[in-house]
Formats: sequence, structure tokens, C-alpha cells
Amino acid sequence: MQEKEVEIVRILRAGPGNEKKYVSGQALSSRLGVSRTAVWKHISNLRKMGFLIEASPSKGYSLKGEASFNGVEIRSALTTGTIGKKVFFYPSIDSTNIKAFELARSGEPEGTVVIADAQSNGKGRIGRRWESPPGVNVYTSIILRPDCPPQAAQNLTFLSAVAVAEAVGAVCPGRPTVKWPNDILIDSRKVAGILLEMDSEADRVHFVIAGIGVNVNMKAMMLPDPVRSIATSLAEKSGHEVDRTHFVRTLYASVEKWYKIYLMEGFGPILSAWKGYFDAEGKPVKVISFNRSISGICAGVDESGALLVRDPAGAVVRIISGDAERG
Amino acid sequence: MDIKDIKAIYKFLKETDIVELELEGEGGKLRLKRGGLVAVEEPRPVAVPASQKEVKKEEPAAAPAGNVKIVTSPMVGTFYRSPSPEAPPFVEMGSIVKSGQTLCIIEAMKLMNEVESEFGGKIVSILVENGQPVEYGEPLFHIEASK
Repeated sequence: MQEKEVEIVRILRAGPGNEKKYVSGQALSSRLGVSRTAVWKHISNLRKMGFLIEASPSKGYSLKGEASFNGVEIRSALTTGTIGKKVFFYPSIDSTNIKAFELARSGEPEGTVVIADAQSNGKGRIGRRWESPPGVNVYTSIILRPDCPPQAAQNLTFLSAVAVAEAVGAVCPGRPTVKWPNDILIDSRKVAGILLEMDSEADRVHFVIAGIGVNVNMKAMMLPDPVRSIATSLAEKSGHEVDRTHFVRTLYASVEKWYKIYLMEGFGPILSAWKGYFDAEGKPVKVISFNRSISGICAGVDESGALLVRDPAGAVVRIISGDAERG
Repeated sequence: MDIKDIKAIYKFLKETDIVELELEGEGGKLRLKRGGLVAVEEPRPVAVPASQKEVKKEEPAAAPAGNVKIVTSPMVGTFYRSPSPEAPPFVEMGSIVKSGQTLCIIEAMKLMNEVESEFGGKIVSILVENGQPVEYGEPLFHIEASK
């Protein structure tokens, strides 16, 4: 695919290990096992992608500038074994979830990710859009193939929330909270949303697409009015711009870490970790699902993650779909 | 240890009587518990307070005629007939569907499941209203299977 280019970026970023910061064409050629001409072609391709590579006839190649935001840069420093193994990067796309679904249908392996700089038709929950302006945020979808029945797949909602919350917490001061089931908030304002889409048959999941949208460097004014007052970004909360490439790698590493825990130990540790971010228990809540709403006091979640609400009559209602707002 | 390895070991585990396994090696320590991937052992009905219960579903009086296949819900969730409120429903009464065609979405906890038809044929019953909760195994559609 772009393996050689990923490798070149990795080598150039690491540097030759001496002060010179240039890696010779000969060194690249032997490390990659390709000819000098092939090296030059790959360098050309990288430059077309926006990499600032300086070529000096006597010294070799040097990669200048900050980390860029594209598939090659992201892959060049991934620490994961599976998540991000294949990266499909798009400057602009309709929806990373739509693309990831297609790729999964055509057999792309678990861990394949789609990531875009902008979306024209980002998906929210049924009927809603995810605002996806270019240049500032992370919009990504991950193909997962858990070996489980469809009823268990909703566990991944909580798994993805935990992974995103952990990645957000790593770059932002203050602990994020989670709004049931998987909105990530900082100071009660939404910073990330997650939508999962599944393809399954009666007793077996084929794949689940975990679609994750994180407001990284977006300024509030970039959002349309109703959303503006309830959303925020990592940059707004941390007070400085966040390197998206670095954040994406952290995110993929978190997903991989929690997915492994899930595969080995089941849903228990996932739900426990999720509860650590959930602060609505004991507080008034209003759940709107489709055409009805239930108001009451949040009574936590049950062992499957369903939201429990004690209504004014004292009965405990179990919610599996809906928006849970502060009441 | 890679995700692929964990899954391979879990698959092997399922074929044995082993319930819990601990492995220690160069890659680190691995502990696997059987049953780790299933959260809910049995399907549970969604509790709806009496005041909000709607008279919505009529159970079919008898099992449908031989050639009519029942499509059931693969999970507990909310039944949606279209991909979004403004979009037309995936299928209508009388729609001719192919095997593999999407019939509806079942949603639970922000997980959307497009339910596909196992059969080709004609939709002769739509048993649940848009936005209603459904249980695991609940009948959703009757399809008169084509020859």
C-alpha cells in the first residue's frame, strides 16, 4: 500500500542518530530494500502529500516541520498492533462510517480505520448530523469484528466511550465525564460523540463500525447555533491547540487497550471503567426516546449498561434507547 | 500480545472445558475467562411504566402459512423503519425484497443494527410500529418467500 512511505517517514523522523539530521539516500535504499530511484519516487509522493522533505545532494534527506495530518504520518508512529494497521485517509468524505461499512462488507480486516479531515454528511444518532468542518477535528471509524452474538455488541458502546474518554483525558486537564451512553463531556459540554453500526445475522456479528467524532481544535463559532452552546473542544478546554496526529494515535492505542481487556475479561471491567466517568447517578434526568419522555432520578445503570430511572411514582424504568439529559 | 492472538486463544478455549486460563510468556501475562464476550445471558424485556404502555402489537393469531417466513429481531432495542426521520422506510407492505436487503434498523445504546432479510419475497406483514421497543426474537415482518 504505502508501506515504504510510512517507513521512510518513520526513519526520517527518528533521524540518523547523529547530529546531522540527514539520512542518506543510500541508507534509505538499503533499509527499505529498494533502489535509489525508487526511494526518490517515494520521496516525491510524500512531498505531494505535503511532507516537507529537504534533499541535499551530499547529505541526503531531512524531514522538516511538524507532524502533518494524513494516513502516512499517523501510521508512521502508531504503537498498536491491530487498530490502525490499515488507514484509509480522506481530505474530505461524506461519512467515515459509510466508508468503513463498505470496506468491512468487502472484507477489510479488523483494525482497519477510516479517517477524514472533513465530512459532508457526518452521522449522528437517527436523523442527526455530526458537524464536521475541515482542518480542526478528528472524524474516524474503526472496523471491529468481535466474535459475539448481536445482543452483546452493545457492550462496544461503553468500550468506545471509555477509550475516547481516556484519550481525551490524556490531552486535556480535568476529568471528562460521560453522558449515557457514550457522549464524552468536559465541564458538561460535549467534546466527542460515538455512533456504532453493526452488520450481523441472527446469532453472529459480522462487524461493528465504531464511528468517533472528536472536537479537537474547533472554535465554538464554527458550530451552528443550537449546537454551539452545548459543545466544546479539546483546544478550548486545554487552552492550546492539540496535535491531531498525536491525538489520533493516542485514541487508537486506547481503543486497542480496552478491546483487548474486553476480549480477555468480558464486559465487567469495561462497565466499571465507564462508571468512573459517569456522574449522573442520584441526579434528576429526563430521557427522551422517540415519541415519549420519562423524567425522574437517575438510579445508575444495570449490569448490561441500561440506564435506570426512578420515576415520580417510585418505579424503576430500564432504558435502552434515548437521549438522557439533565432534568 | 496481539488482538488476533487473543481471539485465536479464546476460540481454542471455547472448544475445551477450560473456564479460565492464565498464560505467562515473553509477550506478558494473559488471563482469559470463558463467557467473557456475552454481557446478557438471557434476553430481558424492557420495563415500561403502565401509564406509558401502548396497545401496539397484535400477536399473530396462528403461525403463518407454510411459505411465509418470519423475520425476528436479533436483539433488544428500538425498531426504526427508515434510516432517518425524513428518509422513506426501507420497505413497505407489498415491497418485493431480495435476500440480504435491509428491512429496518434496531437500535440499542447508540448501536445501530441494520436487519437484513434472509429471504427473497414479498413483505406481507409489518408487525411493529416505527419507534417501538422490541425484544430479542420478536417477530418484525412476515415475508412470503419467493420460489
